[in-house]
Amino acid sequence: MSDDSVDFLHSGPLAPLKKWGTKWSLWPVHLVTACCGVELAHAYASGYDGERLGSLNYGIARQTNLIIVEGAITRKMARVLKITYEQMPEPKFVIVMGACGLKGGLFWNGYHMVRPSDVVPVDFFIPGCPPTPEALLRAIRSLQEKIVSGEARNTIEFEKYDLSKINVRGEQPLKPPSPKHYSPTPPIKVDVPKEVDWSFGKKLIAELKSDLEGLYKSITITDKNRIAIQAEKDDVVALASKLSKRFDHVKNVNVIDIPHEYSFIVEYQISSYSVKELMPVVVNLFARIPRNNPRFPSLAVFWPSADYLEREMYDLFGVWFEGNSAMGERFLLAPDTPEFPLRKDRKLREEIYSEVE
Amino acid sequence: MNVNGLSGLNELLNELLSLLSMQHFLQNQVSIPLIQPIIDLLLSMPFVGYLVALILWKPMFALLIFPGLGTLMAVLLFIIWFERKLTARIQWRKGPVEILRQAGGVIQALADGMRYFFQEVIVHRDAHKPYFLQFPILIFIPVLLPLLFIPAGSIVGIESPYSLAIAVALISLIPVFIVAIGWASNSRYAYIGTIREAFMYFAYEIPFILAVISMILLYGTADMVEIVEKQNIPGIFLNPVAAFIFFLTTVMATSRLPFEIPEADQEIAFGPFVEYSGIMFGLVMTITYEKMYILALLMSVLFLGGGNGPDIPLLGNLSGVLWLFVKAMAIMVLLSFLRSIYARLRLDQALRLSWNTLMKISLLSLAIGIVANIAFGLGW
Repeated sequence: MSDDSVDFLHSGPLAPLKKWGTKWSLWPVHLVTACCGVELAHAYASGYDGERLGSLNYGIARQTNLIIVEGAITRKMARVLKITYEQMPEPKFVIVMGACGLKGGLFWNGYHMVRPSDVVPVDFFIPGCPPTPEALLRAIRSLQEKIVSGEARNTIEFEKYDLSKINVRGEQPLKPPSPKHYSPTPPIKVDVPKEVDWSFGKKLIAELKSDLEGLYKSITITDKNRIAIQAEKDDVVALASKLSKRFDHVKNVNVIDIPHEYSFIVEYQISSYSVKELMPVVVNLFARIPRNNPRFPSLAVFWPSADYLEREMYDLFGVWFEGNSAMGERFLLAPDTPEFPLRKDRKLREEIYSEVE
Repeated sequence: MNVNGLSGLNELLNELLSLLSMQHFLQNQVSIPLIQPIIDLLLSMPFVGYLVALILWKPMFALLIFPGLGTLMAVLLFIIWFERKLTARIQWRKGPVEILRQAGGVIQALADGMRYFFQEVIVHRDAHKPYFLQFPILIFIPVLLPLLFIPAGSIVGIESPYSLAIAVALISLIPVFIVAIGWASNSRYAYIGTIREAFMYFAYEIPFILAVISMILLYGTADMVEIVEKQNIPGIFLNPVAAFIFFLTTVMATSRLPFEIPEADQEIAFGPFVEYSGIMFGLVMTITYEKMYILALLMSVLFLGGGNGPDIPLLGNLSGVLWLFVKAMAIMVLLSFLRSIYARLRLDQALRLSWNTLMKISLLSLAIGIVANIAFGLGW
């Protein structure tokens, strides 16, 4: 905890002046990391007016003494948070806002999440998703009280329950279920056929079937303007070279991890910007690859827009796109992120429940 | 030993002692009939009497009370609070209030100052350490010295036939110090802010000096005491063009909105002052407010008749002080008001405005000054 700051404010013969000045001049630095920043803006706008408390949002870390961490801190923003905190002059304080800052909230157990309390010493947490402006102003009030009295207090006293009495089923105390809970997994189908009134699609499919003879396993209409082409991995390059004459870009590259079938499904969603009839049509070209040897030919030769998307998929799933020159490098993820974080067999951080005396 | 030489030294010492004697101070004393009994009582005390006589000696009064240090500090505390409060009221907020509910939070700037005072002063690795720490303190020389030349009624620190020229020359030194501060900071934002400050300095300084010269031509003198005496009609009516130029360049010089280009906290994070923290930031942040105070005083002397006004017999010499203060505060309030109602111009827009329009109008004001001098017979 940042008790150094409080100790400094309470030491020496000038302590009353120090405490008084700091109490009425808590200036938060602008460090809006997530959506709770909206509530911060609300708390300082005309409805609630946080400036009544002498607190003024200020641009620069060097001239402020309070960080309000607004919500989720990712691995990349954790560095920014630390640098900002280090730039601020002592005495300085930290308030963490929102459920994401507490335990991850919406992004609980995400591979990119960092708890702010691991990065900087935190004085107050405000729970809520998002906390109301009243709650934020209450935290600033509490911080003022902490500065004066020297000790942090909860603003709410919870009622205490005897846990042994609410356990009505038997002697065993109730335990929360383990977070490692596998549900029965249904087979994953990417091309579920659907009857739609789409005459252009039927004509297009007939054309595609004659065009791509012998290269595909199946072509189905999955919805209006949506076509799925299943293929073998080895035929994908030949397929793409033919499809690229008709469709000029890749909208999305996607990987589906199916651990219980020991395979990945790699999807290319391709479409056209140049032919007017084909503009709304999205063709899903997909193939299965084995999970222990996830290699797939890169289609960035035919569609350059696939390049970055393939790199991203390598980052998240570890599928090696043969022919893409940037394989084996980190693209979007922070350097300290666990390897291939979206694979379903990644080990999660286990939650430990224990009773606190 | 030469006896004559010794007696000469003796005379010199006597003269020096007479200069420091209470009698000498009392000859040139600020008279305030309202609290005269209290002053008489204090003067009769052994040591306090000497101090009171010293403070009430007119040059010392100008240095310490008005327009010098005391009023400057009070004005700084007031105007920073007032600006926050005014902005808040315009945005339908209350502004700082909880610190002292009874008085609308008027001591907010004092609390901020206290906080600054006890915060760590960070000198970053890239800064030129001696200059980084010296310039914010040295800048008080060009800030405080012009105050001594400004006459408040009969109270004036230094009388000189060139007082206006000296004051303007000293004020022109302030941006040089700001550029030096930015240079010593040695960071990217400070660099951009410094360049902007330098650009703005050249842009506003020439119309500003031309406006002052036009007033010198109009009154036929550069002595501010004489200028105030000659203003039976306030200068703003004699030469409204020069008044307009002076006001606009004051807005530029104190980097108020819409010309808050060198500091621009949303763009370049307070420009030259970005690396300062703690009490050093408190010092550099107040520079523009101090400059605003001096220029407001100068403007009320040149255009609004300085300490002229209905004489209040009870206040004695303070009557002029009161009028000058009221006029200067009115100008400062107006300048604060600009901050919350205008958006910021771009640097090139501001430069075009001042090098084109302001330069032309300021040449016009020179001509008006000469014509008005002849027409009203103000003489040389």
